[in-house]
Amino acid sequence: MGDHSANAYIPRPVSIMRTLPQINEHRLFQLKLEDGGTWDTFGHQPGQFIEVSLFGKGEAPISISSPPTRPDSLEICVRRTGKLTDSLFELEKGSRLHIRGPYGTGFPVEKLKGNKLLLVAGGLGLAPLRSLLLYVLDRRDEFDELILMYGTNNPDNVLFKYELLSFFDREDITYLYSVDRDEEGIWKQYVGVVTGLFEKATLSPKDTYAVLCGPPIMYRFVLEKLLNLGFAKDHIYMSLERMMKCGVGKCGHCAIGDRYCCTDGPVFNYAEIEHIKEAI
Amino acid sequence: MKILDKKHLITVIKNWAERYRVISPVRTSHNETIFDIFDENTFTLDYTKPSMPPKSLYLPQSETIFTVENGEYTPVTSRIKSLLFGIRACDMTAILQSKSFMNGEVADLFYNSHSDNTITVVMACAGPQNDTCFCTTTKSGPYAKKGYDLQFYDVGESFLVAIGSETGTELSNIEGFSDIDDADALNKIQSFQKEAEQSIERIPEFTPAMDRLSNGGIRDEFWERFGNKCIVCGGCTFVCPTCTCFNVADRPTAPGKGDRLRTWDACLYGGFTKEASGHNPRSSQGIRLKRRHEHKLLYYTDRDTHGGLCTCVGCGRCSDYCPVHIGTIEVVKAIAGE
Repeated sequence: MGDHSANAYIPRPVSIMRTLPQINEHRLFQLKLEDGGTWDTFGHQPGQFIEVSLFGKGEAPISISSPPTRPDSLEICVRRTGKLTDSLFELEKGSRLHIRGPYGTGFPVEKLKGNKLLLVAGGLGLAPLRSLLLYVLDRRDEFDELILMYGTNNPDNVLFKYELLSFFDREDITYLYSVDRDEEGIWKQYVGVVTGLFEKATLSPKDTYAVLCGPPIMYRFVLEKLLNLGFAKDHIYMSLERMMKCGVGKCGHCAIGDRYCCTDGPVFNYAEIEHIKEAI
Repeated sequence: MKILDKKHLITVIKNWAERYRVISPVRTSHNETIFDIFDENTFTLDYTKPSMPPKSLYLPQSETIFTVENGEYTPVTSRIKSLLFGIRACDMTAILQSKSFMNGEVADLFYNSHSDNTITVVMACAGPQNDTCFCTTTKSGPYAKKGYDLQFYDVGESFLVAIGSETGTELSNIEGFSDIDDADALNKIQSFQKEAEQSIERIPEFTPAMDRLSNGGIRDEFWERFGNKCIVCGGCTFVCPTCTCFNVADRPTAPGKGDRLRTWDACLYGGFTKEASGHNPRSSQGIRLKRRHEHKLLYYTDRDTHGGLCTCVGCGRCSDYCPVHIGTIEVVKAIAGE
């Protein structure tokens, strides 16, 4: 695996181990290899993505939500939005689908090691960022302080709720959660946009890497915040979303200036893309 | 070098046609010249710039890349051996550029199955084929500098034939061709090249426009002016010899059975960059036109241009066919005048 020279477009069969409903219209799929082996051989890194195929429905890029440190399954968190995902949601345990990958650059874990980390996720942005979050938690000794900021639009849309709740029992992660609106008054944490969480955290911009994943609007505001706090541009990583059709830098759909999101990204350093107007 | 008397040309092509699918200029019943399967009765040398580049032989407009049955994906590659006779230097340069692009970090098996099985015979241009030719500006013509198997120079009663590869040697090692290596023949080719280069008008605005674009001196309002005119037909990308963007789609033919296709796509279409979330990073037609022109004029590596100035090869087809005057020539001149 990892070697696509034979045929970059050929998908391989995998089967569904479990499906775990998340919030409304979102589901976590645990995939297993057909030979029953572990995903060590797949060679994926946190932040990479796969192309998921259901023949007749098409193919779509979906980020990997699980880290390589948990090789028993490969997890993808899917939002139901169209024909392909509709069909995916009809599949049950044991059903077969096809994937190819892993694709993209992923988060620079080697560079992040030994440093303080600030992870900022918005909405479904937690899906790719979770692969890094769990990676860091699984190899906690290799990283310094860890702060997670996660914002959703309302309390019903918190992804991986039980996993996030379990962090309250840990001392090695600072978790700050926000919701934009809380009409029913049930939210015990911060109400407001995710940037509001910065008031609640003690950050040391000089030796912290910030890693962001969320909707485009979140990047604009979080970037402004980080730069004002004194974060260096090359200490800010972000995972960008584009329509990555082929995954191997040829179909043209995911181009961002002179880069291709599927091969040069989806994880970019802010310093390398700040000059590209259409990037964010 | 070889010389071929024009009266032997048909015999030579017929000889090639026994081994290859020969694609050549042919006259249609509507009295148009197009590139199609060689036919002795309709073959013609009286042609200018073909309306379409030979792109579809390398990247078909729609192509089955997999047949799928019960979850088994079987790749479909081409084994047809083709010989392209009479293509122009701009298109030859485009073939080299596209081949490089399609074989970046990862090789494209489907593209290569066509490309590895296609022989190119270039017909050097003696001058501009129509008023939109600007290959001397983009350094991609009027004769090919590399990539061809054979290159024909029309010098009157005969062709002087330059050999560009081992296949070219083999192709010209048949009856009709004779060796010629005298100084006179070389001089003839050199003066052919020189006259051709001089007769094709240069676009002085071209490199200043590239610089202007590269320095970020062009505001989005400029592109929106063109965006307001663009009718989003995508024609410029389809006639462009270096546009290779594609879409992938499934065509079921029976339950659990069918084809996975790839088809031409165009960065000018609104849905080209639209994501499942509904977000579209290129949200206006102006921005999409900006993308297309920046890609041609700015985004490439030296490895990909094969001696050309950029990934526009100066064929002028976008200017020939755009119904609302948003061809590269018009855009470049507008940028320079901005």
